[in-house]
Amino acid sequence: MPWSCAVENWRVTSLLRSYGRMLGGLFVGLVAIWIVGLIVLPQIKMIERAFIYEPKGGAAVQAQVDVDRITQRLFTIQYDIKDLEKQAAEGDAGAGAYAPGAKIGEDNTGSGVATPSISGASQTIEEQIAALKTEEAELQIRLVALEADELRLKAEQEAAAGYSFRNFTTMNEIHFKIFVLTLLYSFCVTLICFVVCYPIAYTVAQTTSRERAALLMLGLIIPYAINELLRIFAWVMILANKGILNAGLDAIGVLDFSEGETIRWVASNGAVFCVMVYAYILFMVFPIYNTIETLDRNQIEAARDLGASTWRIHRRVVLPHAKPGVAVGSIMTFMLSAGSIAVPGLVGPGLHPDWFSQVIYRNFFEAGDWNVGSAYSLALLVACIIFILIVMSVFKVGIRQIAR
Amino acid sequence: MTALTQSAPAMQEKGALGIDWSKIILGIYMLIFFLYLFVPLLIMVAAAFNANDTPSVTEWRGFTLDWFTGGYDAEGNLVVRGLPQESRFLQGLWHSLLIAVGVIVISIPLGLAGALLLTRLESNASTLLYTILVSPILIPGIVLGVSTMIFWRDIFGVEAGLFTAMVAQSVFIASYCMLLFMARLQRQDRVLDEAAFDLGASSFMVFRRITLPFLAPTIATATVIAFLQSIENYNTTFFAIGGSWTLVTEIGARMRFGLSPVINAIGVIFVVFTVIAAVTYVSLKRREQAKAKAQKG
Repeated sequence: MPWSCAVENWRVTSLLRSYGRMLGGLFVGLVAIWIVGLIVLPQIKMIERAFIYEPKGGAAVQAQVDVDRITQRLFTIQYDIKDLEKQAAEGDAGAGAYAPGAKIGEDNTGSGVATPSISGASQTIEEQIAALKTEEAELQIRLVALEADELRLKAEQEAAAGYSFRNFTTMNEIHFKIFVLTLLYSFCVTLICFVVCYPIAYTVAQTTSRERAALLMLGLIIPYAINELLRIFAWVMILANKGILNAGLDAIGVLDFSEGETIRWVASNGAVFCVMVYAYILFMVFPIYNTIETLDRNQIEAARDLGASTWRIHRRVVLPHAKPGVAVGSIMTFMLSAGSIAVPGLVGPGLHPDWFSQVIYRNFFEAGDWNVGSAYSLALLVACIIFILIVMSVFKVGIRQIAR
Repeated sequence: MTALTQSAPAMQEKGALGIDWSKIILGIYMLIFFLYLFVPLLIMVAAAFNANDTPSVTEWRGFTLDWFTGGYDAEGNLVVRGLPQESRFLQGLWHSLLIAVGVIVISIPLGLAGALLLTRLESNASTLLYTILVSPILIPGIVLGVSTMIFWRDIFGVEAGLFTAMVAQSVFIASYCMLLFMARLQRQDRVLDEAAFDLGASSFMVFRRITLPFLAPTIATATVIAFLQSIENYNTTFFAIGGSWTLVTEIGARMRFGLSPVINAIGVIFVVFTVIAAVTYVSLKRREQAKAKAQKG
């Protein structure tokens, strides 16, 4: 009896008892749809694409372009021959010499196909026809060769296509450098956010006056709840060429606006870095605040009474208690920074070196290469998962403590 | 005795003049931090009322409301394009609302089902299940957007648009809802269920008459949070929305083409709504805490 077996294995008896078969089944069904349809299958599809190599461009495409061009040229020649033959039949010898010859001469520049030079007026129609026919024959031979070439190249590409690691191994040096730098920068953003936020979170959590605590809370929630893009926008205004920062430097005489001296802050990675700290700092404050708030104040008092220094109190009492909060804050900040498209995309777009998310974006929407794009997003996903695992083991917290 | 033990170390911390330097330094630090948070926002708000057509506060050209209303000259010709003339923003807002409603409809039932399942599943598999269900919160939004877009196009031939954006958002918003429901369910008194069962209630009746009413406030909270998360989302939406746009992606698109005070005007509206919502939230929470304290006392 597979059903009772499943019940035994999964110990869903409590579930069935609470909700009955119908409701229990409904919940299981909804969760199954969620997991399979929304989470797992899309990821699998993305991973599948990441490992399918789809060669693009290169020799095969060039061969195809050549074949197309020669075919077109052949059509023109055949048309010209027919035209000339018609003229010859009509006996209109003298006038026929001008047009086709000149046209052919023009067409040939750029096509790269060698043709006998035709100097219009001196040739008779018969000579022109003969010249064109030789060219036609030559082109036919080349066409056959090229078509064979194209087929061979395509077959080679198809043989190379399919499941492989090539989307990753062909990641060029620049992209790989961007990938590493993005992770490094995100890590620094996380570190700075922690250092800046910890005293804030501690102070807010330890505020005894209820009025003051509510006010501080409000001061944190408002900027947190204001849209990410608007927070970025505010900084773009500050960092713009004629923005507040440059105006301030102008006022103290470092820059001279009247002579067009400005500093292009937005064109630097530093600007992206600063705005990112601003944009994601509050994702660090709240988790730490939430954990410190649950710490019994008497513990701190006790430690102080026993003569512990402030440093020691934090290291031995507050921080160990705040571990899950620090872990969540770090994971959120790192993940948001590494995957951020808003900050690098909107702070001086195109002026500063790329962020990895922008490379992913371009693969999907500009290069149209979804498989490479998938490979890159998979790389980002794996990097984030590794970061989460490292944080979990360093802080010794489980997944249940992390996502609360 | 407590007074004695407390006063001794306190004396140690204070300097010679009886000034608690650590407190002062911390106070200054807090002040700087809050200035850091708010000054950029204030600058953004102020620039919305500046007649300068590049958003600025240093180059003040007079107070104006044109960026909100649109500006007309004496003959009634439009001279300044304000919010009412920027129809893409309005349409984007409509798209955002459509997506948000869809997200609520999808993620509340999913989150509820996930939470109910996890709180009653006493098995080792529940940690695995939990990990899978919260994973969308922990992975980058662009990965969710990309994978949803690929999945729907490759399997169902659905091109990226409002629908895929809605689905992509639901993936992680459902996880947030689930966490909210789980927090509430952990405080549920299971004795009530047991009593109802003993009195012969069917499981459906217990769910409808006990569990659902108990969860009702959380359903309201989760709806609000799902709505806000959906409206505010940029990263996931940006990748999954294809050729369409929401209010937020339109703000982003406009920012890339150059700054316009119309964005400041939208910013002001956002700020006003946020402040009202935040004040309401904090005062509601305080009242709840006071009530809880009164009940205890």
